[in-house]
Amino acid sequence: MQLRRRQQAVTVGGAVVAMALGLAACSSSSSTPAAAGSTPAGSGSAPASTPASSAAAASGTINAAGSTFQLNFQQAAIAAFKSVDPSVTVNYAGVGSGTGRADLYKSTVLFAGSDSSIPSKEASEVPAGATVLYFPVQVGPIAIAYNLSGVKGLKLDAAVLAQIFQGQITSWNNSAIAALNPGVSLPSTSITLAVRSDSSGTTANFSQYLVDAAGSAWKLGTSSIVKWPSTARAGTGGSGLASIVKSTPGAIGYVDFSTATASGLTAATIKNSAGDWVAPSTASAAAAASQVTPASNLTFLAVDQPGAGSYPITYQSWDLVYAKQPNANDVALLKAYLGYLLSSTGQQLLTSLNLTPLPTSIDSAAVAQLSQITS
Amino acid sequence: MSAVTTADPASPAGSAGPLKHRRPLGDRGFQILALAAGLLVLVILVLIAVTTAQQSTSWFTSSGFKGIFSTNWDPTTNSYGAMAFVYGTVISSVIAIIIACPISIAVALLLTEVVPRRWAQPIVTVIDLLAVVPSVVWGLWGIIVFAPWIQNIYLHIASGLKGIPVLDTLFGGPNVEGACFFTTGIILAVMIMPIITSLSREVIATVPTIDKEGAYALGATRWEMIRGAVWPHSQGGVVSATLVGLGRAMGETIAAALVIGASATVTGHLFYPGYSIPSVIANQFGEAAGVMRSALIGLGLFLFAITIVVNLVARAVVERSARRMRGA
Amino acid sequence: MAVMPEPAAQLGPQTIDLREPAGWRRTKNRIMTVLMWVAFVLVLIPLGFVLYTVIEKGAGAISWQFLTSSTIPPNVLPLGTGGMGPAVIGTLEITGFAALIAVPLGVLGAVYISEYGGRNWLAKIISFMADVMTGVPSIVMGLFIYTVWVINYGYSGMAGSFALACLMLPIVIRSSYEMLRLVPNSLREGSYALGATKSRVTITVVLPAAVGGIVSGALLAVARAAGETAPLLFCILTVEATNTNLFSGPNTALSAQIFSNATSPYVGAQARAWGAALTLIAITFILMLVARILTARFTRYSR
Repeated sequence: MQLRRRQQAVTVGGAVVAMALGLAACSSSSSTPAAAGSTPAGSGSAPASTPASSAAAASGTINAAGSTFQLNFQQAAIAAFKSVDPSVTVNYAGVGSGTGRADLYKSTVLFAGSDSSIPSKEASEVPAGATVLYFPVQVGPIAIAYNLSGVKGLKLDAAVLAQIFQGQITSWNNSAIAALNPGVSLPSTSITLAVRSDSSGTTANFSQYLVDAAGSAWKLGTSSIVKWPSTARAGTGGSGLASIVKSTPGAIGYVDFSTATASGLTAATIKNSAGDWVAPSTASAAAAASQVTPASNLTFLAVDQPGAGSYPITYQSWDLVYAKQPNANDVALLKAYLGYLLSSTGQQLLTSLNLTPLPTSIDSAAVAQLSQITS
Repeated sequence: MSAVTTADPASPAGSAGPLKHRRPLGDRGFQILALAAGLLVLVILVLIAVTTAQQSTSWFTSSGFKGIFSTNWDPTTNSYGAMAFVYGTVISSVIAIIIACPISIAVALLLTEVVPRRWAQPIVTVIDLLAVVPSVVWGLWGIIVFAPWIQNIYLHIASGLKGIPVLDTLFGGPNVEGACFFTTGIILAVMIMPIITSLSREVIATVPTIDKEGAYALGATRWEMIRGAVWPHSQGGVVSATLVGLGRAMGETIAAALVIGASATVTGHLFYPGYSIPSVIANQFGEAAGVMRSALIGLGLFLFAITIVVNLVARAVVERSARRMRGA
Repeated sequence: MAVMPEPAAQLGPQTIDLREPAGWRRTKNRIMTVLMWVAFVLVLIPLGFVLYTVIEKGAGAISWQFLTSSTIPPNVLPLGTGGMGPAVIGTLEITGFAALIAVPLGVLGAVYISEYGGRNWLAKIISFMADVMTGVPSIVMGLFIYTVWVINYGYSGMAGSFALACLMLPIVIRSSYEMLRLVPNSLREGSYALGATKSRVTITVVLPAAVGGIVSGALLAVARAAGETAPLLFCILTVEATNTNLFSGPNTALSAQIFSNATSPYVGAQARAWGAALTLIAITFILMLVARILTARFTRYSR
């Protein structure tokens, strides 16, 4: 009897202790975020950091998320930045531009990677009175990869591309393609479209190019998800699309140039608005980017740029940050890391990734904009 | 403190005294704890329903009833019709159950009735191995290895069935792809097989031996014994296990997203690419914003509703057959 | 022996006819047994296929450094530098915490339905809803936790654990309930007759009787949770560095890393992905083996 009473007491006591521990764990994890509520995401200690200039003084963690187009660059930069400033930890996850921006609106991340500027329908989600700064970080070409054995240097233009990707041209020896490629013997293989199954900035910018350059011939609009013809084969991620092209004779697809090169695909030469045939490369994308005149907030669209050597299907990515930061340490962290991305050492990482550094004018404008991040 | 009165020395044995029934604190506490745990399920579900409903209101308001029930999913024109995904989810899950259910039950019977006790453990280990393969690995293997391999088989089947009325619609057609409804069904079947087998096995194993021995005594073969003694007892449990498997099949995200082909069309051709609700959410949520985001979350709510309906129907079926077995 | 023997009158009272039933019945029995074995072989085929693929592609990546290194290298780097250490720790922590939440709660919930619920309408609803909950897509669970927790409290391993626990809970409830239901009532009645309270009966008699099946169901739930990717993508913000603090700060897990690396075009990343897949399978399998051995030793009512 007494034994049972003691055992009951132990049971009840144990349950109470367990619940208390659980509550304590929850409340301790919510008390740090309660502080983080006023200091969004950048969980750093808040000692007075030397203002602005010295990157080495900053310490803490930057959490960021967004575009997968930026992912390789961010990963390389994070690894390299560790040797520049070991006390700063940067986390970047490629969750997609939309989710990245949504995280920024809720201040769950310190900066968001986005391949497009904030669309008008999202404008209401930005907290009232907050200014979002756009820091362009990279530019890169979208390659039109194809799988036709024996055919090198295939030439395509916007009108034909529109017809191909709308399913109006269905075999390779179609007269429209042949007209652009005199002297090349095109097989009668049927065209298999390779597209993205997941929403992506690559799709958005490729369709934007078709809207700009093909005009009314392109009926499918522009969006991160386009309703491709039902015979199109969809792959997950750029590498999924690339593997469809690689394994299917007669396939054609749009994929960012670094993925195309890494997968060993052949890319088509595209006619730009000046009438020149340009192949995708770091240089031709740089030529396109140099033609860009960004708006005052550094937003721009790099597709379909004029100029002799410009590759017409070039796109861009920004890091979005709030101008006003609640936490002084976060200001130092952001300036240190974003400054590194925009510095010449940082931008040089892009070339090894088959991406394109920013033109100097845009880069300096971005660096100058860093001073607008204040606490 | 006990639940039964101690014998009162003052009253002679056998005299009827009032039974004092005071439940100890710990006992009450445990019951409340168990109740709270059970209620947690409801709380979580209600929370999920409420938050998803909240987030999907802009989809409902902007698309209207007609828009939601259309099969046209086209973000560029802001039309978000859900039917293609509902169709894909249901079809791939049904295929998965049709494939997995007989195989799982057969293996469960194998483990409990056919195989000697010593050999049961290795077979159970094999089933465990099936269960530990992560869903993302199934998806990757499916799209990289399995789909290309099985596409050839599909092409042969399709060309062989050309012209035959019903079969041609189901298994024929020029657009045959490795990544299609049927492949998704196969991979889902493989993924849900361990849990159906495990649950069925436990249920089947507890059929009273008396019934089994009685059947044998009457001269039944093993199969007849299974049909006559095992099945009536374990029917309900096996159906319940199948429901768990069906739920898992309908909710499977990553494996289906990689293998289903990402084509939002409603078609009777099982070898054509399709789309399912979890797959479209997984694929398109990253870049989605505004109404599209709300539409994707609304699709999740849709699946919720479908799961409820499917479970209700299955329960009703089980109730009907159980009543018939009991002789109502 | 295909023919029935002579009429029984010819057999003396001391002989018993033990021959098998003849003809179609026996054939049917044999066919069914063969079908059962065929089913088992059908199960082996994809399993063998998958394991072969994972081992072939992943074995080359496994090394001590791969398993314990503290950073995951960028996708572009080839195999050799770094490894999946952060992801291994992340998976163990996140899945472990999820199990810690889901298993006790699930067993308690099943206890309520089977012991205290009776024909109560509440128990029926809870049981029904547990089934419905198995059908909620894992990504919707992830989005749910994202909306409710991550937005307010940031990315953390704990958020991932919550999402996984929500996934595991209905499976644990359903399987535990089935096991508890199968415990013979005579056990319970005997304990009541000895004067035990209901909670004591449940804790000391019913649960131990069902523990084998309960643990088995819990293991399957844990195995599933360890392999889930979609909910984690929204809750932990897959990162490349080790974060042992489960409660704050983004984390990573093997399943999420497998997905992000395997969909990268770079060979090094893909090799790491398959290595991580092999590691995850090995970890979960070892856990299941260990737990099955333990329950085999402690189960009172073995089948």
